[in-house]
Amino acid sequence: MYCIKCGVGLADTEKKCPLCGTTVFHPDFDRVNERPLYPEGKLPKHISNSKVVCGALVIIFLLPLVICFFADLLYNGVVNWFGFVAGALVVGYTALALPLWFKSPNPIIFVPCSFAAAVAYLLYINCVTGGKWFLSFALPVTGTLCLIVTALVTLLRCLRRGKLYIYGGASIALGLFSMMVELLLCTSFGFSFLGWSVYPLVALLLLGCLLIYLAINATAREIMKRKLFF
Amino acid sequence: MAKKVLKPLRWLRLDNAAKIYPAARRRNWSNVFRQSVTLFDDIDTEVLKSSLEIVVRRFPSIAARLRKGVFWYYLQELETVPEIREEYSYPLVYMSKEEMRKCAFRVIVYHNRIAVEFFHSLTDGTGGLVFLKNLVAEYFEQKYGIEIPYENGIVDRKESPRDEELEDCFLKNAGAVPASRKDTNAWHMYGEEENNGILNLTCFRIPVKNALELAHKYNATLTVFMSAVMMQAIANLQKEKIPDIKHRKRIKLLIPVNLRQLFPSNTLRNFAMYTVPGIDPRLGEYSLDEICAVIRHKMGAEITAKHMSSVIATNVNDEENPFLRLVPLPIKNAVMKAVFDSVGEKKSCLTLSNLGKVKVPDEMAGYIKRFDFILGVQADAPYNCGMLSFGETVYINFIRNIKEAELERHFFSVLRQLGLSVTVESNRDER
Repeated sequence: MYCIKCGVGLADTEKKCPLCGTTVFHPDFDRVNERPLYPEGKLPKHISNSKVVCGALVIIFLLPLVICFFADLLYNGVVNWFGFVAGALVVGYTALALPLWFKSPNPIIFVPCSFAAAVAYLLYINCVTGGKWFLSFALPVTGTLCLIVTALVTLLRCLRRGKLYIYGGASIALGLFSMMVELLLCTSFGFSFLGWSVYPLVALLLLGCLLIYLAINATAREIMKRKLFF
Repeated sequence: MAKKVLKPLRWLRLDNAAKIYPAARRRNWSNVFRQSVTLFDDIDTEVLKSSLEIVVRRFPSIAARLRKGVFWYYLQELETVPEIREEYSYPLVYMSKEEMRKCAFRVIVYHNRIAVEFFHSLTDGTGGLVFLKNLVAEYFEQKYGIEIPYENGIVDRKESPRDEELEDCFLKNAGAVPASRKDTNAWHMYGEEENNGILNLTCFRIPVKNALELAHKYNATLTVFMSAVMMQAIANLQKEKIPDIKHRKRIKLLIPVNLRQLFPSNTLRNFAMYTVPGIDPRLGEYSLDEICAVIRHKMGAEITAKHMSSVIATNVNDEENPFLRLVPLPIKNAVMKAVFDSVGEKKSCLTLSNLGKVKVPDEMAGYIKRFDFILGVQADAPYNCGMLSFGETVYINFIRNIKEAELERHFFSVLRQLGLSVTVESNRDER
C-alpha cells in the first residue's frame, strides 16, 4: 500500500500514514487487520515522580515549625514570635518545594504564587508590628518585582528566539526597579535621598544595552562567543 | 549440614564513557537504547526465561544493576534473573533510578519479538547486540534443539566471562595528548511535545541493494550516504522554519564510531567515540554530493587511531584527576549534570548510529525475520535515529517525543527524489 498524499510505501500494519497522517484507503482492497507493531493506547504503569523528595521536604519544613512553636510557647507562655518563623517557612515552601508536587510545574503560575505568599507574609508582619509601610512600600516593591520576574519567565518560556533581548530588557527593568526602591524608601520611611540606586541603575542599564546590542549585532555576538567560550 | 558458601557478587567500575549517563539523568529522561529481534514464530516465554538465566551469568557486565558508591557509581552482578515483561506501551519507557538499582536492563516480549532495553552505562550498541544474539541463540538451542556454532558474535554461554570482555578499553587506549573539546553549536529541532512522555517511532525499511548502489554512486559508504541524506533533510526542514538564511544555524550529526575497529579489543563495555560532521547553511545550499564529501572527509580525518586516542585522553584525564576523584559522588553528579545541561547536546542536531550489517550464523538466520535498533530521544532535543541492516533490508528507526513528523517527511522526500523505494511503519496509528 502507498499513501495517496505523500506516496510513501506503508507497511500492512499502518492505518494512517506516519508521515502525513492521511488515512490509508484503497477501494479495491479489503485490508486484513495486521497486528500493530507495538501495543497502542496504554501508558507506562509507573512514571517516576518526586513524591519521596516532596515528602522529605515537607518534613524538613515542618520540623523547624514545630520546634519553634513549642520553643515560643515554652519561653513566653504565649505564641509571640512564632508567626514570623511560620510565615517565612510558608513562603520558602511555596517558592521552593510546592512546584515539585506537580509533574510539569508551570513557572508562569508558580512565580506569582510565590510572590503572593511573600506579600501575604509582609502584610502579616505589617499588621502585627503596627507598621504603616505595607501599602506605601512593601506592596509596590513586591508587586513590581513580581511583574518583572513573571514577564521574564513568561517570555523565556513562550518565545523561542530573542533571549538576549529579553535578558537585556529585564536588566534595564531591574535597574529602574532599584531606583524605584530608593524613592519608595524615602517617601515611606522618611530617609534622605542618597542616590545609592544610581550605581545599580547605571550598571544594569549598561548591561541591558550591551545585551540588546549583542542581540542586534551578529558579528559582535560571534566575537563574544569566541572570546568567552569555555 | 554443610554451610552454603555464597559466591560474592562480581562488581565493576563504570567505564569512562559510562560515568556521564547516571549524572545526566533527568526526571523523565534517561539514556536508554533498545535492540530487538523479530522471529517468525511467537516467543515461548518459559524457554526465554530459562535462556536468560544462562546468558545473564555469561555477561555480568551487561546483566548488571547500578549501585552508588561514595565517590563513583559501579555495576554489580544480578543476584536473580530479571522478570521478562510483556510489552504494553511504546518502546523505551522511562527507566527510573529505583529500577536501575534493581536491574539496569529490561527484556521485553511482544508476540514474536524479543527486545532488550539497556541503560547506556552497561554497554554500547555493539555489546548490546552480542548480548541479544546470544540470548536468541540460547533460546533457539533450547526451543528447537539446534546447535549454533560460535561465530558472528555467538559465544559459549556456559563458559566463564572472559577478562577481555570486561575491561575498560578507554583507559588502555588513551593517548598522551588530549584533544580540544572546542566545537560549534548546532541547530535544534523543536515541536509540540507529546503528553505523558509518549514516544513516536517511525521505521523506514529500504532494500540494502538499492541503498548501497546509490551510496556507491556518491562514492560513499552506507553510513556516510544516510548521514548525508539526514543532513539534507534537516537542512530542508530548517529552510522551511527559518526562511532568512542569515539566521540559520549549523547542521551537525553525531555519528558514533566503534573503536573496536581501530584498537584491538573484545570488550563488551562501552567502547565508542563519535565524530560530528556538519555543514553551515549560511554559506548557501548544499547538494547531496557536497554533503557526502564533507562527511567523508571529516570521518576520514578523525576516524584514525591517533586522533581517537587523543579524544579518549581528554575524557580519561578528567577521570584520573586526583582532586576530581576524591570529590563525593553527589557533588560530582551535580557538576557533571550542570556541564551536560549547558554543553552536552548542543553540538549536534541528533545522533545517527549505524550498527552496520547484523550477521548471525546460518543456523539462526532461518528463524529470524528482522533486527531493530532504537536509540532513546535526547534530553533536550526531540529526535534520534538508529539504523542497521539485516538480510536484504536496512531498518532506520526514528524516535521523537514531539507530535509532528516533519523530519521524517523531509527524510522521505530526499529518498524519494533519489529514487529509493521506502516502506514506513510506526507505533502510533490512532491519533
